[in-house]
Amino acid sequence: MLRFYFALWVSKLAMWVLKLRGSTEDDRPGLLANKICPDFLAKIAKPPLVITVTGTNGKSTTTALLNNKLVAEGKKVSFNEWGANMNAGYAVNLMRCVNIFNKPVYDVSILEADERLLDTTMGMIKPNYILVTNICKDSLRRNGHPEFIFDIINRTFEELGDHTTAILNANDPISSQLAPHSRRVYYGMTDIGANPFENRVKDIAVCPKCGSLIKYHYRIYRHIGDFYCPDCDFKTPQAKYYVSACDLKNRKMTIVEDGEATEYPLISDAVYNVYNVLSCIAVLRELGEPKQEIADFMKTQQVTKIRETCVEYNGIKYYTYGTKSQNVSAASTVFEYMAKEPSDKDLVFLLDEMQDVNHPTETLTWLYETDYEFLNSPNIKRIIVGGHMFLNHKLRLLLAGVPEDRIVCIENEADIPKYVERTGIQKVYVLFEIDFVSKAFHMRDAIVEKCKEEDKKNEKR
Amino acid sequence: MKNVELLFPELCNIYGESYSVTYLQRCNPENINVIETNHKSVPAFVSQDVDMIYLGCMTERKQEMVLKALRPYKERIQELIDKNVIFLITGNAIELFGKEIRDEDRRIECLGLFDFYSVRYMKRERHNSQFIGHYGDLTMLGHRSQFSFAYGDFDNNFIDIERGIGMNPDTQKEGIHVNNFFATYSLGPFLILNPYFTKEILGRLGLDQKLCFEKEIIEAYDYRLAELRRTINAGGRL
Repeated sequence: MLRFYFALWVSKLAMWVLKLRGSTEDDRPGLLANKICPDFLAKIAKPPLVITVTGTNGKSTTTALLNNKLVAEGKKVSFNEWGANMNAGYAVNLMRCVNIFNKPVYDVSILEADERLLDTTMGMIKPNYILVTNICKDSLRRNGHPEFIFDIINRTFEELGDHTTAILNANDPISSQLAPHSRRVYYGMTDIGANPFENRVKDIAVCPKCGSLIKYHYRIYRHIGDFYCPDCDFKTPQAKYYVSACDLKNRKMTIVEDGEATEYPLISDAVYNVYNVLSCIAVLRELGEPKQEIADFMKTQQVTKIRETCVEYNGIKYYTYGTKSQNVSAASTVFEYMAKEPSDKDLVFLLDEMQDVNHPTETLTWLYETDYEFLNSPNIKRIIVGGHMFLNHKLRLLLAGVPEDRIVCIENEADIPKYVERTGIQKVYVLFEIDFVSKAFHMRDAIVEKCKEEDKKNEKR
Repeated sequence: MKNVELLFPELCNIYGESYSVTYLQRCNPENINVIETNHKSVPAFVSQDVDMIYLGCMTERKQEMVLKALRPYKERIQELIDKNVIFLITGNAIELFGKEIRDEDRRIECLGLFDFYSVRYMKRERHNSQFIGHYGDLTMLGHRSQFSFAYGDFDNNFIDIERGIGMNPDTQKEGIHVNNFFATYSLGPFLILNPYFTKEILGRLGLDQKLCFEKEIIEAYDYRLAELRRTINAGGRL
């Protein structure tokens, strides 16, 4: 234990020094703690409630909602809102929960957890709940494929056994099959008439039990829906928390729980955010939070700024919109949203990955996994792409059927604003790789600034 | 009309690689017919002459399903290779044509058409790298993202690697090329990544070698080649 206490004290001191310097969003103290004491995560005392949120998409939005709710009711919650979702981030999160004598001083720890590393960490942390949002196609370079991620998460549940409750998406034919030996709680959704587009590349195509093609009574988006196998008993499990009606336009839904219906507000009109709110409500209800209190709280919430912002200038709305480039499922879902959101719009792509900027030889595989075909929509007036992948994007857009006169592909991203035209559009979306939040803000502001300058010149004339 | 059989797209399109076949057809839609075969059906190549067969990358569990589907037709596949039918095999599909796949203590018997074996390293970090190589006069580009490597002599390799690695980190020999059988660990989609090789395939099919969006795909290839030459190191890492 001596090594553990040494790690705890040194890391807490490092946290304190960083705090004095104004840096609270830093996981280096956690890195230090894990280095000094490799089983630091096992030895550190845990608060009374530890909730882990993992899965391919929706982790950040869901954890932020959970955190906001528990904080709003006066609980002391440790949460890495800046998205430190690996070992060092967990160490910082849990360190915050204890004093120098390793006694818990917080009520709750909420861990946004990278699914790729779950099986090497959660056995030490032993959370009370693990919410799995979904398992979808992600970056092939890091995550391989959904079956690989499924195996990692499943091993985690096997190790944790009865200690941890699995809160699972009944409509996901992949993640709904997790944790067969744990207590499972499902959330799901009725047919809301989403009419999703068909994806070129499926997250899952065949039944994991017998290999027949999976069928759907209805789909919500991608592979998420009411699924079944025509040749065996593989099908959507029954959901304890079930969305029986959903009105995206007016941003509200009805959840039936034990036969009783309750109306809850939504935080956006995007269908994937319905699942984020639903899964958050499932966790809160498992914790015993009153329904009406949750509903009242949801009215105060919106999508986190790191995912979506909007400024308006001269009748046009300029958005930044998180897209996760090489995460194929997220990018395709955003492209589908852009086609279905009825406004006439320009799209600006800032989708090069951070790691590829320093090593500008990004692979082009993800472009052909992603549904660029969705962008061939009459309400998308121009697609402006900057960066070193510009020629690959251009080819992909042409192959997707997007007319050439709607495509602007340039090497230098800084030149993008001058190609944004305002005639006949209501919105401009800057679709950005989520590691580049501030870059997206700068691009949005540069576009608005360019418009203002144009207006000034026109006034002078 | 040339018949191109796309094998098991429901299992073997995990990285969108079937787009190689989509693209090939778009180069000459009047003369290329694509036959899509489900893994529970008998492949078209068993009972009819096809001009080209494509098999793409799959998950490790699906490798065993595909082996089960192909094993009854092992002799027929050998016959088609001998008859100069074009095969394009990409990603870990190449492993199925070797002798076996080793996964810790497990030995998964493969088709055994070529003398090599593969080893899965599921607990290691996934291997990602790119390569520049040569096939005859063509400069080839490749991108690998995989949990496994293959081991053997690879005397009939497809590509000689200039920068990057071959079938494993200790060889510069990449893929297999026998008659018109072309196999590579590279993802891509391979025919998008290598437009000059796409021309080669069209030529071997006896078709006009004009590419779909030829100017744009060649520009993208030239830019990528120059970029890789600047940035890729000997091991293929970026």
